[in-house]
Amino acid sequence: MTLDFSVILDNWQLFASGLWMTLVVALLSIAAGFLLAIPVAIMALSHRRWLRTIAGAYVEWFRNIPFIVVLYIFFYGLPFMGLRLPEPVVGGIALAFYASTYFSEVIRGAVLAVPKGQLEAARAVGMSYFMGMREVVAPQTLRLLLPPSTNTAISMIKETSVLSTITVAEITYQGLVVQGATFAPFEVFLTTAALYWLITSAFAHGMHRVERAAGAAQGSQQARHSLADKYLQLGMRRSK
Amino acid sequence: MPNPDASPAAPIISVAGVNKWYGAFQVLTDVSLSVARGEKVVICGPSGSGKSTLIRCLNQLEQHQEGSIVVDGIELGQSENAAQAVRREVGMVFQHFNLFPHLDLVQNCILAPMSVRGMSRRAAEALAVGLLERVRLGEHAHKYPSQLSGGQQQRAAIARALCMEPRVMLFDEPTSALDPEMVGEVLDTMRGLAAEGMTMMIVTHEMGFARQVADRVVFMDRGQIVEQAPPAAFFGAPVHERTRRFLSQILH
Repeated sequence: MTLDFSVILDNWQLFASGLWMTLVVALLSIAAGFLLAIPVAIMALSHRRWLRTIAGAYVEWFRNIPFIVVLYIFFYGLPFMGLRLPEPVVGGIALAFYASTYFSEVIRGAVLAVPKGQLEAARAVGMSYFMGMREVVAPQTLRLLLPPSTNTAISMIKETSVLSTITVAEITYQGLVVQGATFAPFEVFLTTAALYWLITSAFAHGMHRVERAAGAAQGSQQARHSLADKYLQLGMRRSK
Repeated sequence: MPNPDASPAAPIISVAGVNKWYGAFQVLTDVSLSVARGEKVVICGPSGSGKSTLIRCLNQLEQHQEGSIVVDGIELGQSENAAQAVRREVGMVFQHFNLFPHLDLVQNCILAPMSVRGMSRRAAEALAVGLLERVRLGEHAHKYPSQLSGGQQQRAAIARALCMEPRVMLFDEPTSALDPEMVGEVLDTMRGLAAEGMTMMIVTHEMGFARQVADRVVFMDRGQIVEQAPPAAFFGAPVHERTRRFLSQILH
């Protein structure tokens, strides 16, 4: 038995268009999902019980259902309500809603990780709740937000493969097409796997750089300075 | 907005018959207290006696359930607007400083004057630098809180509160989280503020400071004001048994 990757080269255009479709759908639905997650997280953090209840129900509903079922509900539900949209759009919308529940939990966790005294200090100098959240709490959540958001985004990139079931021509779908035409499933799915790995690892590396940049802008740089200061102070004390 | 009808002779803070519960547990019981303009009041008492809760009610970081609190002519507890109006005029210093770690000292100081008072950046920065120099942090003005010692951070927190040009300063155990060698510098800053005539309410265990600076010492226990007197009388001849027991514990 030998692997014959010439079938891949013969069909490279299908894989390329699949890669492009996956990138576009993943990027847009992750961005939309994150934006959608912000109001959900704000509701989940509200001191009004009914807002918390709504946010909690929303998150629970999506998180306890496999994505493929969520996708089918959107795929059959939207036309049922008279809304006919192209498959990639339906798939993107479903994924955005699904992702928003995970992102909202990430955001909620990051906000809760900022010490309570920060918002109190903001309010004590006369700032409103909203202003305090925006100027004081939100900037501090940024560094806390990045690592778990990267994880969630990578999961969502992988979930785009499920869109193949509603004929969205992304990587997995194109793989199935090529496999049907060439009867070379092993080569095809090794290639498919490599393409996903390419996207997710490139994304992870990019985010890691962003994390480091954000860290350097705030924490680690300060830590280095303060360490240097302490050594200087020690030296001065000794020389006295 | 400060109430223009409030006469200068009227107390700037008046607390009457305040009760507060956390669930079934009563933290404040029938607390009444008034503070005149320029007065320095030290509140002491064992932990859990409600002293922090009381001063946190004065700027509504905590809400009381019964009784009335009037600060600078504004009745508190009615609305969030009233609370915000009071907070604009009342500065607070916390046990754990609560400086904003993502901002340097100047930015910490100018955030509220710019966003709440609508002050220009230039004016706010001039004010901030002046106040940071006053608390002897002029050379650290562009450092971040994490680069400073605890004592320096607490002095910066005092400067941040002063940037709103408050009429009253509340101090919630300002030296309790500090290493012993840094307590002095913070108390010195507070002495300077007192000498300038600021109205101050201070929750502290620093009895030496209370003796020097306070016009009146209030002793609280189990959510009640047990006794209040000028420092000479308070330390020299405490009336209540609970006060005597507390003082003998804390002074030795």
